[in-house]
Amino acid sequence: MLSEAMAVLGKELTGELRSRVALNAIGLFALTTLTAVAYQIGPYRIAAEDRPHLLAALLWIILFFAATSGLARVFVKEEDAHTAKTLRLAARPEAVLLGKLLFNLLLLVALEVFIVPLYCVLMAYEVKGVAGLVLVLALGSLALAAVATIVAAIISRASGSGTLFAVLTVPLALPLLVILIQGTRAAAESPDVAAVWPALRAIVSLAGVTLIASAYLFPVVWHD
Amino acid sequence: MTDKRWLLKWLLGVWLAVVVLGAFFYAPTARGFKGESARIVFFHVPQAWVAVLAFCVNLIASLRFLRTRDPIDDARAASAAGLGLLFSVLATVTGSLFAKVMWGSFWNWDPREVSIAILLLIYAAYFALRQAVPDEERRGSLSAAYAVLAFVTMPFLVFVVPRIYWSLHPDTLLNARGSIDMESRMVQVLVASLVGFTGLFSWLYTLSVRLARIRLRRQQGVEG
Amino acid sequence: MSFEGVGKRFGARTVLTGVNGVLRPGRVVVVTGPNGSGKSTLLNILSGLIRPSRGSVRYLQDEVELSRRGWLSKLGVVAPDMAVYEELSALENLRFFTRLRGSKADDVVLEGLLESVGLARREHRRPVGAYSSGMKQRVKLAQAVLHEPAVLLLDEPSSNLDEAGHTVVGALVAQFRERAAVAVATNDPRETAWGDEEIRLAV
Repeated sequence: MLSEAMAVLGKELTGELRSRVALNAIGLFALTTLTAVAYQIGPYRIAAEDRPHLLAALLWIILFFAATSGLARVFVKEEDAHTAKTLRLAARPEAVLLGKLLFNLLLLVALEVFIVPLYCVLMAYEVKGVAGLVLVLALGSLALAAVATIVAAIISRASGSGTLFAVLTVPLALPLLVILIQGTRAAAESPDVAAVWPALRAIVSLAGVTLIASAYLFPVVWHD
Repeated sequence: MTDKRWLLKWLLGVWLAVVVLGAFFYAPTARGFKGESARIVFFHVPQAWVAVLAFCVNLIASLRFLRTRDPIDDARAASAAGLGLLFSVLATVTGSLFAKVMWGSFWNWDPREVSIAILLLIYAAYFALRQAVPDEERRGSLSAAYAVLAFVTMPFLVFVVPRIYWSLHPDTLLNARGSIDMESRMVQVLVASLVGFTGLFSWLYTLSVRLARIRLRRQQGVEG
Repeated sequence: MSFEGVGKRFGARTVLTGVNGVLRPGRVVVVTGPNGSGKSTLLNILSGLIRPSRGSVRYLQDEVELSRRGWLSKLGVVAPDMAVYEELSALENLRFFTRLRGSKADDVVLEGLLESVGLARREHRRPVGAYSSGMKQRVKLAQAVLHEPAVLLLDEPSSNLDEAGHTVVGALVAQFRERAAVAVATNDPRETAWGDEEIRLAV
């Protein structure tokens, strides 16, 4: 099963590296939002006591909305290109889910590696607990990818529109977003990794629960 | 059989009328609440309760549909969701009005407020999804999948986020509303209202399902 | 595999009613009918991709009934609405599908298969997106027979193909008729000629 999932992942990566559609979409969206925020707000226009809240929140706004612009592609493009049927016949649903989930995860990680350092520089965001931040980002990406992937699968079998994807993802991702912002704040304010522990616990359990539900629901969604 | 239904219907009507009267005349105004504003609790709390009840009914019907593929289970899920949407709108609105009277603003980011609003978003997303799928059976399975996914992420809204939010907003307004030492008359009216609203939901739900059953039967009759 | 009483309704529109049949190795079944009569729908139901509104489909191997999951791995399907990956080359496509089914991909074998469906060696590594529609169809054929399927469902297999391509399809049918259950949905009289048995659908 793992090798099949890797085959799916490999196919996604090859396709993506050749066409770069999703990378461009996500990257440009994030860059544009970041530029707008950095230009208008920048390091100086926020009062010191508001900085922790706002900077954490803004970062995740940028990341989250960039993600929603690109994470649905992984299923929608299969339906659009009519390759979904071919894939359905050839692959096991678990392999498809895992492969595409990993792809979305890598996409998110790539986005963060690009945007987060840039954000910290442009907004003069001082992060005291880098290790904590990395953990929040990594596990948060897993949770976000988990939610986005199963929702993408669902909407790809419906109308597949980006609006529908956003509408369905927002209620599910909102609690995650709140926890991620809180975790980011905690990481920025304290070098001690233990500070992010409450947030991490919540993120990991949300990710776990979503993954288990996805494993059960995906074959239903995929096979009609 | 119809006699019993008729009797129950009228009993419900009388019960709810009594509850309304009780809310305004029997129960005293609570201390610490502005003027008569506390009375809204008798309607707001049951509405929120029904919204959550509907969510549970929807979950059970969705799970059953995934197992049986019987269109009546999908109709049950949709009926429950429709009522859930209605009651969560009512709960959000009454909660908002209360907040305005008590604390001067319509929205305060109180965790409970946010939870009911997110429940509302989930219902809205559920119907948006249903709208986007023309094929009946697929509509049933996709919306059931989303319902299960939403249910699974709900605990995080209700339990985890409040715990995190609490630390951010120490002056939450829960205390004022959640105090358990209400006068006994208020408790009586509240409980009566809960029962009444549950009865209302039950009645509307049964009606809706009966209607759906008839519609299905007619449809199946057409194809012979 | 056998199917009985199969019906399919999409909303208010009934596309199929009471279709029966049996597919087994040795007899090619041809499904004919005017456009809109449900040929593709029937094949989709047989492949397990769509559930029938009425009736049932059963797949038996050596007298043992297989679950839907078990079927899927034994099917080879060609259909107008089933494409291969255009961003990958023909060879990469075949490698991918081989790996998906849990086997090791042997380029020599795969290239041989591509040549047998009439795809010149120099084309094998170009992205499928750059192919002509006839070439794409040939890749679809290759993809369908890649794993030695026990059931071959061909929906208008010669579409987009010239005479030479049509011959290739005929050769494949001949090659598989004894060891797989073959069904062809078509209106092309050259293809209906291959059939030992016909299921005629009406609108």
